[in-house]
Amino acid sequence: MALKQISSNKCFGGLQKVFEHDSVELNCKMKFAVYLPPKAETGKCPALYWLSGLTCTEQNFISKSGYHQSASEHGLVVIAPDTSPHCFLIGGCNIKGEDESWDFGTGAGFYVDATEDPWKTNYRMYSYVTEELPQLINANFPVDPQRMSIFGHSMGGHGALICALKNPGKYKSVSAFAPICNPVLCPWGKKAFSGYLGTDQSKWKAYDATHLVKSYPGSQLDILIDQGKDDQFLLDGQLLPDNFIAACTEKKIPVVFRLQEGYDHSYYFIATFITDHIRHHAKYLNA
Amino acid sequence: MEEESGEELGLDRSTPKDFHFYHMDLYDSEDRLHLFPEENTRMRKVVQAEMANESRGAGDGKAQRDLQEEVDELVHLYGLEDDHELGDEFVDENIPRTGVSEYPPYMMKRRDPAREQRDWRLSGEAAEAEDLGFGGWGSAGQCQDLREAYRYTHGRASEEYECYVIPEEEDEEEAADVFCVTCKTPIRAFQKVFDEHKEHEVIPLNEALESAKDEIHKNMYKLEKQIIEMENFANHLEEVFITVEENFGKQEQNFESHYNEILETLAQKYEEKIQALGEKKKEKLEALYGQLVSCGENLDTCKELMETIEEMCHEEKVDFIKDAVAMADRLGKFLKTKTDVEISAQPEFEDQTLDFSDVEQLMGSINTIPAPSAPVINPQVPNSATGSSVRVCWSLYSDDTVESYQLSYRPVQDSSPGTDQAAPSPPIIKTKEIRSCEEAVLICWESGNLNPVDSYTVELTQAESPEASGVTDSASLYRSVVGIPTCESVVQLQPGRSYIIYVRALNMGGPSVRSEPATVHTIGSYFRLNKDTCHPWLTISEDGLTAVRSERRTPARELSPSDTHFTRCVAVMGNLIPVRGHHYWEVEVDEHLDYRVGVAFADVRKQEDLGANCLSWCMRHTFASSRHKYEFLHNRTTPDIRITVPPKKIGILLDYEHSKLSFFNVDLSQHLYTFSCQLHEFVHPCFSLEKPGCLKVHNGISMPKHVTFY
Repeated sequence: MALKQISSNKCFGGLQKVFEHDSVELNCKMKFAVYLPPKAETGKCPALYWLSGLTCTEQNFISKSGYHQSASEHGLVVIAPDTSPHCFLIGGCNIKGEDESWDFGTGAGFYVDATEDPWKTNYRMYSYVTEELPQLINANFPVDPQRMSIFGHSMGGHGALICALKNPGKYKSVSAFAPICNPVLCPWGKKAFSGYLGTDQSKWKAYDATHLVKSYPGSQLDILIDQGKDDQFLLDGQLLPDNFIAACTEKKIPVVFRLQEGYDHSYYFIATFITDHIRHHAKYLNA
Repeated sequence: MEEESGEELGLDRSTPKDFHFYHMDLYDSEDRLHLFPEENTRMRKVVQAEMANESRGAGDGKAQRDLQEEVDELVHLYGLEDDHELGDEFVDENIPRTGVSEYPPYMMKRRDPAREQRDWRLSGEAAEAEDLGFGGWGSAGQCQDLREAYRYTHGRASEEYECYVIPEEEDEEEAADVFCVTCKTPIRAFQKVFDEHKEHEVIPLNEALESAKDEIHKNMYKLEKQIIEMENFANHLEEVFITVEENFGKQEQNFESHYNEILETLAQKYEEKIQALGEKKKEKLEALYGQLVSCGENLDTCKELMETIEEMCHEEKVDFIKDAVAMADRLGKFLKTKTDVEISAQPEFEDQTLDFSDVEQLMGSINTIPAPSAPVINPQVPNSATGSSVRVCWSLYSDDTVESYQLSYRPVQDSSPGTDQAAPSPPIIKTKEIRSCEEAVLICWESGNLNPVDSYTVELTQAESPEASGVTDSASLYRSVVGIPTCESVVQLQPGRSYIIYVRALNMGGPSVRSEPATVHTIGSYFRLNKDTCHPWLTISEDGLTAVRSERRTPARELSPSDTHFTRCVAVMGNLIPVRGHHYWEVEVDEHLDYRVGVAFADVRKQEDLGANCLSWCMRHTFASSRHKYEFLHNRTTPDIRITVPPKKIGILLDYEHSKLSFFNVDLSQHLYTFSCQLHEFVHPCFSLEKPGCLKVHNGISMPKHVTFY
């Protein structure tokens, strides 16, 4: 699979690059950002995947979060894919209704493999993130395929949690910023899942972190979650962390959930605590 | 040749005495008034300069020996006392010796500076020839030589002078191809057959060239050496220069202080004497005044009597007789009393003898360097001695000039027959109260003696093996800290080792035997719970690591406030070693236990809960309605944190360096929370039990890797 470099900028001694490629799962061109720390020049580094939230592309995280210094210090390769196929750009898929809402369709892939038409051909973000993208990264960049972790924000937080919970042992650690913890029960989730997966709610649960936890069989996970207390979406009931915490407490999945006074849903909030999260992952990736 | 020169010289041996007869105008005007020897010196110098000049380009010097002989001759000629001087200089300068010897006799007399100018190789001995020429004072011709030589050295043109043998002129026509060693000139092969060179040794010109080059190099090397020597000498001179300044400074100071001392003494004496004189004056005046007063009184009495008598004389006879008798009595009495008409005080003052002996002494001592004051040995610093060495430091007065110190010592440990006092008994280490961290240990002990001891010594050995504890050999001593005044000591150690500690007491009778040993491991931090700080409802175990709160049936009565133990919060503090750096320990708790664990300053208010003030930080767990609640308290505030898996063992990292206090779930290697805290003083671990239960402290644990990320 040919990679085309779109941009490259030196940052904290490493390189922030953006590539484009033809995705098999998504049947269109996809972009992703990758940060190579200074250590990558001399050896293989662990890989940390970031999943962005609604309306984001690969650009938001690399421009706004200020993660580079921490990634550079801990020697982690950080990969940030786009949040959904952007077929309209290329004139590939041109799905009707793609751009009608900001929380469904473009920029709102919800990291699922859609089963409904007209989405099922292109909207396969779950497979893209868990299969295609890691293979691509492992083949083209100096990463250690055995050491991988995942984290994200909002919808990406949801994506990170479900990827980790659905693939025990694949990821060494997982963390999230204001994740959508229980999409089955919140307006966003209901809208997206019914559109991508149809009306059978049992299919929905396969992509719901709270439900997945209840049947999580796997190895030790250490989950760190930061949530802004003044986050509008928290108040709107879109995020529902309490349900997730309760489920984890029940199943004894270790979680440290921090409710941060005064913080909202924005990248300012992410930027404040990104260092803690990267350190959290480094602890397991560099162990 | 030599003989001839010798002869010539010999002739002149008698002449030195005659030197003073020579016409002054033989010499240049500047020299007119100088006697010959100085002249000689100058000439000699000139000659030497020449020699030096020539030697730079020096060519085929061979017979140094020749040179030496000639030098000797010169020495004798001039009757120089300091033979050495002349000879050495000549030899040192490695004058190219083409040798006077091959010169035809008459060459000696001639003046061929021209030759010198044209053939530098020969000039050396030409100059010498001039010297030799000087020898012939008697002859005007030689005086002439002298003058001309003079002129030469002052840079006259050479063209005036003829040359005799001019091999080099022949060189211009036909190149010389062999070299006559004996004559030290290049000649043409055919010349060999000539008379002069018939018997002489001849070598190819190349060889001669090579050896000439060698000679040059040797000379150059010597010159380089000389340059270096001179440079060193210049540096040395600079140093001496500076030292002179310094010494001057010192002397100046010394002088000044001495003089001031003298002046002060003089002034003092003056004051004293003047004062004494003043006193004397006062005495005299007082005595005189006293006399004056009594005189006055006397006079008054006399006058009075006189008046009375006069009056009486005018009285009637009867009264007169009455009074007369009385008066006669009075007069009689009065006249009997002796009037002292001796002047009590002499107007003259005695000559004062002024004692200036001490001033004289001071003056006399002005030039002597005062002996330096005794240095003061600094008291021994703890940790400055080992089993076989001790570090002695002393200070001195900066005014003293000190050339060196003498250190002497004698052992006083050995029991000398005279000491009455017995050595003390060994102290007893309080092993339970040992506190340590990775870099230091704090040991305290009981004196073990009823009488006071002078000091204590702590000895440490590294515990390589379990058997090492029996070793008493001081050679294996790792560290010895002496001069400890109190019954406790902090000793710095290396991390990750084990040490065995002994303490000795020391008094005039010597040191005690070693105390019973105690072991310390510099892994993690060791501390015990401090019973003194313990709330009355808590019981601390023997080993100082477990705190138990028992069930209480009776209602709690008000406990009076205390500064040492907790009265409100059922808490206890640990005794952490007061050393900065990082400390790590773990606490084992029950899932359902309500507890607080953290740190606090030693002077935290014991009437308040942990975390309720700004002098304490703690993690608090409460279990109610099957829910676990976690708070991280400082100054009554806590972040909102939820933890899904309750920790059973809490790891606590105290990092003074980064001002952080972190809590971990040890079993999951999970980080829980980190405080940023300003730790201006030392803090101690603290634990409280809000419900009956127990918690156990685990010590001596090396920081786990996951903790290092924080």
